[in-house]
Formats: sequence, C-alpha cells, structure tokens
Amino acid sequence: MARIRFDKVTKRYGGVVAVDRLDLEIRDKEFLVLLGPSGCGKSTTLNMIAGLEDLSDGDLYFDDEIVNFMPPHRRDVAMVFQSYALYPHKSVRDNIAFGLKMRRLPPDEIAARVREAAERLEIAHLLDRRPHQLSGGQRQRVALGRAMVRRPAVFLMDEPLSNLDAALRITMRAEIKQLHRTMGTTFVYVTHDQAEALTLADRIVVMKDGLVQQIGTPDEIYERPRNLFVASFLGNPPINLIEGRLVRRADGADFRRNGAAIRLSAAAVARLDALAEGRTLTLGVRPEDVHAPAAMAADCVLEGTVRSVLPVGSDQYLGIAFDDRELFFRVGKGLAHQPGETVTLALDTARLHWFDPETAEALAS
Amino acid sequence: MSVAVASGTRRTERYRVRPRAAGIARALGLFVASALTLVYLLGPVCWMVSSSFQNEAEITSVPPHWIPDHPTLRNFEAIVERPSRAVTYETRSKIDPVSGGYIPSTARNLLPAMGNSLIVAGAVVLLNLLAGVPAAYALAKIHFRGRASSIYFILSTRVVPDIALVVPFFLFIRKLGLLDNLISLIVTYLAITVPFTVFILVNYFEALPDELDKAARVDGCSRLQALLHVYLPLAVPSLVAVTLFAFLASWNEFLLALMFTQTIASQTVPIVVASFASDFTISFSFINAAGVIAVIPPVILALVFERYIVSGLTAGAVKG
Repeated sequence: MARIRFDKVTKRYGGVVAVDRLDLEIRDKEFLVLLGPSGCGKSTTLNMIAGLEDLSDGDLYFDDEIVNFMPPHRRDVAMVFQSYALYPHKSVRDNIAFGLKMRRLPPDEIAARVREAAERLEIAHLLDRRPHQLSGGQRQRVALGRAMVRRPAVFLMDEPLSNLDAALRITMRAEIKQLHRTMGTTFVYVTHDQAEALTLADRIVVMKDGLVQQIGTPDEIYERPRNLFVASFLGNPPINLIEGRLVRRADGADFRRNGAAIRLSAAAVARLDALAEGRTLTLGVRPEDVHAPAAMAADCVLEGTVRSVLPVGSDQYLGIAFDDRELFFRVGKGLAHQPGETVTLALDTARLHWFDPETAEALAS
Repeated sequence: MSVAVASGTRRTERYRVRPRAAGIARALGLFVASALTLVYLLGPVCWMVSSSFQNEAEITSVPPHWIPDHPTLRNFEAIVERPSRAVTYETRSKIDPVSGGYIPSTARNLLPAMGNSLIVAGAVVLLNLLAGVPAAYALAKIHFRGRASSIYFILSTRVVPDIALVVPFFLFIRKLGLLDNLISLIVTYLAITVPFTVFILVNYFEALPDELDKAARVDGCSRLQALLHVYLPLAVPSLVAVTLFAFLASWNEFLLALMFTQTIASQTVPIVVASFASDFTISFSFINAAGVIAVIPPVILALVFERYIVSGLTAGAVKG
C-alpha cells in the first residue's frame, strides 16, 4: 500500500525554482510517468519521493504520513538510476543483496531472494561477475534486480533505459511493464522519451519549467493536449502547428494563412465559439490524422504542393508546402507522389486541435 | 620501365614497416634518457648505502670506492649498541682518526628518535584520515550553502609559509605546556597536512558518481554507512596517496621539530640526524648509515602501497 501525495510542494536551488507548487496524487499500484524535457523538474520530483532532496516548501505524504524530512533509508522505496549506479567493487550478487544486508535480513532469506530475482531477470549466470564485466543491458538488469529484491512499496526509476540501444530499449520497456504487473507496487518513472511514457504509463504527468502542464492517461494526453507544449512534446514526428485566421463561409470556414487555406466543414468549427472568428488561432494536426484523397467523403480538405517524400519503411511522410511552412503528413505507401505535384488530403474532422497562440492554451477539446 | 615500376613499388610500400633506423634511434634515445634519469635519482642513494658500509678513510679516498674494499658494520653497531660505548669528548682522542670512528655522542639517540618519528607520523596519518575523509565526503557529496568557499578557505590556510607560523605556533604550544612533547608536533603537523588531505580527497570523491551515493542511501545506508560501504572501498588509491603524503611530511619535517623539541623525549629523526653533523667532528660514513636507517620506514611504506601510488596521485590531481 503506497499512495504518494504532493501538497503544494516547491523545490528551490538558490534562486532557481526547480519544482513550483506541485499538487499531485499518485495512486496505489499505479504506473505514473513524469515526462518532460531536461530541467523540467521531473528528476527533482522523483528525488523528493526518494528522500534524496529536501523540500523547500509544502508537504509530501506517503499514505497519510508526512515524510518531508524522513531520510531515504527509512522510506520503503527502491530506485533504478540512468547510470545504473552499480557498486563497482561488489559482485553482481553483492550488488543485489546490499539493500537486504543493510536491512539485516537473515542470510538464507537474502540468498533466496537474490536467486529468485536473478532467475527472473535471466542473470543467474552472472552473479559472480563485477559490473565492469557486464554489457549495458546486463547492468540494467542487475539494477532492476537490486530494486526488485527489496520488494519496496514504491519503485522509482530515473530514465532507466536512456543508456541502452534502441532495440534493447523496446524489449526492456516490455519487461518493465511486465514487472509492474507482477510486483503490484506503485511505480514512478521519469523519462524525456514520449514513446516510453505512452507505452508504460497508467497516467502521465507532463512537466515543464517546474510546472505541471497536464496530468492524464496516455490517450488523454495525446488526444486532448491542454496546451501547445503538451501537443508538441508528444508525437513523433511532431504535430503540425499552423497559425492562421478563421474566415467563415456559408457551409463552414476557411483557415487562412496568407494565401494558403484549409477548407473546414461546419462540424469542424462548430466547437469554436464566435470569438474565434477573425482572431489568430493555432491549428494543430497530427501527421497521422489525414486520409488518402480516395476517402473524399471527408469535408476538411488541405490542398498543397508536395515538397518532399520521406519513406520510413512501413509508411511514407509527405512534406506539403503551406504558405511559408512545410507540413508533414503520414500516408500509405501505396500512394506514389513526386515532389512538385499537387495533392489533396482529407483531414480528420474530429481530431483537429485548436489553440490560442497568445496563452498557448487549448481552445476546445 | 623497370625503374618506374621499382620506384612506384617503393612509394606504395614506403610506410608498410617502421623505418628501421628510426626505430633503433627512438629506442636508443629512450634508453639513454631513462638511464640518465635513473643515475641522477639513484646515484646519491647508492652512494649513501655504499658509504655507510665503509670507514671514514675509505669514504674520503680518491677515486671513491663504490664497492667497499673493507666492508664494515661499525657505523650500524654504533647506532644500536649500548650507550656505555658512546664516544665523548674525553674518549674520542683514543680512536684512530685515520681509520675513522668519529662516532657522535648522540648516536644512541637515533633509534629512540625513530620511535618518536613513527609515533608522530602514525598519529598524523590516522588523524588525517579520521578528519579528512568525512570532511571530504561532506564537501564533495552534500550540497550546502558555503560549500565552495569552505574548500577555498581550507586551502587558503596553506598559503601562509610555515616559517611565518613558527612563532605563533611556538607561543601557542608553550602556553599549552606542550614544549618537548610529541603532541606539539602532532597538532602542528595536522594543521599543515589536513588541508591538503581534504583537497586531494574532495577531488577524488567528486569524481565518483553522485548516483552511487544516492543508490546506497536508497538501499538503506545512512550518510556514514554510504561513506563506509561504498566510497571508502572505491577511494583506496586516494587514501594511499594521502597516507603517504601525511607520513612523509611528518617524517621529514625539520623546522617545527627543531623549535618544539629539546630532548630525546620528543626529538624526531631529522633533528637527531642533523645533530650528528654539528658534533665535535663529523663522520660522513656514520651519517650515511643513519640516513640508510632513516629511509627504511618510508621505503617499506612505498613498497606496501606501490600498487596504488601512481593511480592515487594522479586521481587526486586530475578530475574524472
């Protein structure tokens, strides 16, 4: 049982505010991902849970107990670090057992737990090696094992996969998800990799400059970003953001940017109030939210000149000139396009994102 | 045609093997440079050892004998023999001046002085580690206000030359009633060595990743346990460097020892060896024998820690 609650928690380093009045409740057995660019305060938040950083202000609760100044060794947490932080002078076995030894568990219990964890992580044959004799992936497993054997109430992970190569990262993602399911404990996971966050999280907390931008399930965050930052931080390639003005027509509206225009149906702009008309707006369209021209039943239409064609194996991306900008859209491989051609793409009416460029907030979601 | 082919081959294969002459010249150059360095460094040591087994007549003969014609242990005997055989102003005239044997009156002081030196150096090393290790860990791994200025402040105490401190130290020691007491040396040597110890260890600890400290503390260590279980085993090379530095600084120190010590109750090796040269007459062979004995403890220390010395010294100096 481990619920963690931040109550207006602030962390300052000298004059720099790393985390600003954070209110957050992490539910028991939840997989929560803190996502954001470097310096956004996500690692500081994690370190405060671990007790490695003091709070400057506010209260931190474990269940109903305030733990603001409880030292790390009194908290029932385990942590996996980006650099693995294995003790170089200890064997793999001693690395994994260290936390248990410090907690004075009986030796046969320690041995049993180490063996069990090693077998689960398939590192049983490495127990007598030293960390420097292991590959990156193996070290990562040892670091996981060291946290696992503790059977902590809270499992903290600080960018644990960042130092692995791409293929291994995908495998380890699946294993961490599996680990969360079988261990049934609260996981708090820090990453700057939006794909990792979308894969692993029950809920994602998007942070920037010490402030929470949005909290929600991966779908909520991806489908209904609350502001421009969240919209642009998630998605690869990133969402197309276009500034322009809305000009009403009889059967809908045109979204204009200088000479270029996107034709929108009445349904597409119905959610925008009258104030939106004539103002500068930012329209966000994710690269995948277009249909092939064949499905022309759709009523939001973008016409443009193909500037570049980027095949990526399974699909291809078209770079389409829109006024002075180039917008990228994912289309099937079946479509043969050449740079210089004019194409017509149908936008998914339900998946257009509108933002106020002045406040950067979403207008309608 | 054949000439063209031949020259073409020569050009493409020119760098296939290292040019022989250059290789030999390089090896020869390195050898000569190493040999000169060795002679420069080891020559005086060899002469000290060799002459300690010679009598005064042989040591002054020209050309010098690197290998004694008549090796003798008399110089060493004089150091370890009973005080009753010590030579005084009255008895020294009975000794044949040609064969040497001007054994100074303070010869018997050398072994007790070595005992004093070992006590002082041992205590200084131990206290350096006890004070320096926690201080360095705190300065390197705990981020508190005034951390950087603390380090500079500690180092700045070493900007003042020792000789400027002699008088204040002396007044201080006299006030405490510690003149002619080993404690006076231990206290003042600590003031000189601890800043360097802290500086070397801070650099070394800073190079060890912070995440190890965090991992240890999450694993259940207090700060002290993290230091003992994780950092100390990793810091052995720097601890060796510090041990050697503190030991040698204490073992060789002359000026303060000269001021604070008066009798063999607290005199250290440098003081006693220096006194040999200020006796009625000077026996160079005897002084060299004393020198041989005086270097034994540092040499043993260096041999024991040989494996760590180079890595420890460079690790202290260079970050990362």
